[in-house]
Amino acid sequence: MSKDSALRIDEAAGEWLAKRHCGNWTEHDQARLDAWLQASTRHRVAYLRLERGWDQAARLKILAAGNRADEPPPPGRWNLSPFFSHAPRSETRAYSALKHLGSTRAGLAVAALLLVLFGAYWASSLFVHRNEYSTLVGGLQSVPIADGSRVILNTDTAVRLAITDTERKIDLEHGEAYFEVAPDSRRPFIVKAGNKRVIAVGTKFSVRRDESDVQVVVIEGRVRIEAPNDTASNLLGPGTVAHTTGRATLLQKKELAEVQDYLSWRSGFIVLHDISLAEAAAEFNRYNTRKIVIQDPAIASLHIAGTFPANNVDAFARLLERGFPLRADYTRNEITLVAR
Amino acid sequence: MAESLDDWFKREVLPHEGGLRRYLSRVWPRGDEIADLCQETFARVYEAARVARPQSVRSFTFTTAHHLILDRIRRERVVSIEATGDVDALNVLVDEISPERRVSARQELKKLVRVFDRLPPRCRQIFWMRRVLDISQRDVAKRLGIHEKAVEKQVAKGGRLLVDWMNDEAPGGRGAIPLDESGEDEEHEQG
Repeated sequence: MSKDSALRIDEAAGEWLAKRHCGNWTEHDQARLDAWLQASTRHRVAYLRLERGWDQAARLKILAAGNRADEPPPPGRWNLSPFFSHAPRSETRAYSALKHLGSTRAGLAVAALLLVLFGAYWASSLFVHRNEYSTLVGGLQSVPIADGSRVILNTDTAVRLAITDTERKIDLEHGEAYFEVAPDSRRPFIVKAGNKRVIAVGTKFSVRRDESDVQVVVIEGRVRIEAPNDTASNLLGPGTVAHTTGRATLLQKKELAEVQDYLSWRSGFIVLHDISLAEAAAEFNRYNTRKIVIQDPAIASLHIAGTFPANNVDAFARLLERGFPLRADYTRNEITLVAR
Repeated sequence: MAESLDDWFKREVLPHEGGLRRYLSRVWPRGDEIADLCQETFARVYEAARVARPQSVRSFTFTTAHHLILDRIRRERVVSIEATGDVDALNVLVDEISPERRVSARQELKKLVRVFDRLPPRCRQIFWMRRVLDISQRDVAKRLGIHEKAVEKQVAKGGRLLVDWMNDEAPGGRGAIPLDESGEDEEHEQG
């Protein structure tokens, strides 16, 4: 089995599910579906999975109340559907019904209307847009944006979003984030990192900020870095890694596979390319509250390479003990490395 | 009559997909193979349950995934040993995954809306008409002036994407922060 066959099975399961519900299902179809399901347990679990999702999707019906138009509300604009704007009117009706309370029927009506009211209040509170997101040390969070873009926050990161009709602005207060920008030529996508601005139209890139130092990694498309009082802004293409410190910008052009390693944190891994133990420790310390401390300059310059789970600093220390002439001392907040 | 194996599987096993994916993506560095590992894990759990349904479904599912990973490492010998060679670390990782998150119906609906919004516009509209408004496939085709097969295709795609996204909003999922932006919710789980 390969990753491709998993997708093919899912696609086939999707086709069966759609056909099953097309309204024209025959005994012959059922026999063919049964045969397909029996051919492989993978087929069966894929089909059951989509069937469960199909059942779950029915919950959208409660948001369709009062909206019989063919079009669903535009993405992120659910609060404008008639379901939500009915609330004030039913309130008045509930009030007048209260005045006639007395018969059981009226009582039931009040109960029903209160239920409607509660439902509307509950539903309208669902879609309040938040615009500040942050992660703790070791955290990782994916934030979908209403325009179809997506931001993934790395460890210890804070961003503030300001999405308007004319621009999409993201303030990276600290930390590192990866951006997948939905194309929209009328609204530039701007990431502000201190006094630098990183501007993109439909692209994939990451920005990391350590105080005033900024690192930009471009995976796809083009982005521009602008600094204040800077006449020549830098246009970066795919595979570029840019480091800016003060007014200096260092551009490196790398293979895409290598650039992907800068973004391995999105799946929880740190990829180290033959760097010193001191640098590796600094990288781990970004992700963990339990910090690695290197006592001995002799071991700080040892070189190390590999792929490691970012938040398992203990396992990392154990591996170091196994492979290098050093010992790790564990306390609650620190792991101290000393030469052996 | 006893509950069918299929129904049991949907009710007891499938809800663990989100946690399973988070676990797999922590111990397996190649993100594009997670769907495959997840499908294979589910198939193994289903096969085992034909014989006897496990007592604790959650830990049985994770143990199955754990064995699958070890099998793959032995077979492929390509995964960097640092990521997976430390079996203790693997066990730690299993324990660190939070117990199945109790997600309220409200959060669930919110998430459903969010992933529904991500569907491509055409797919989103057709899925809406078919699944939510219950308009027949033939009528949808007629109203949109397209072939019935095209409607069916969009329904298949929409159904598949919704399930994928419902279970995979959290890449990696180290989970220090609840993965959906539920700051205003009362049910707040720190992972």
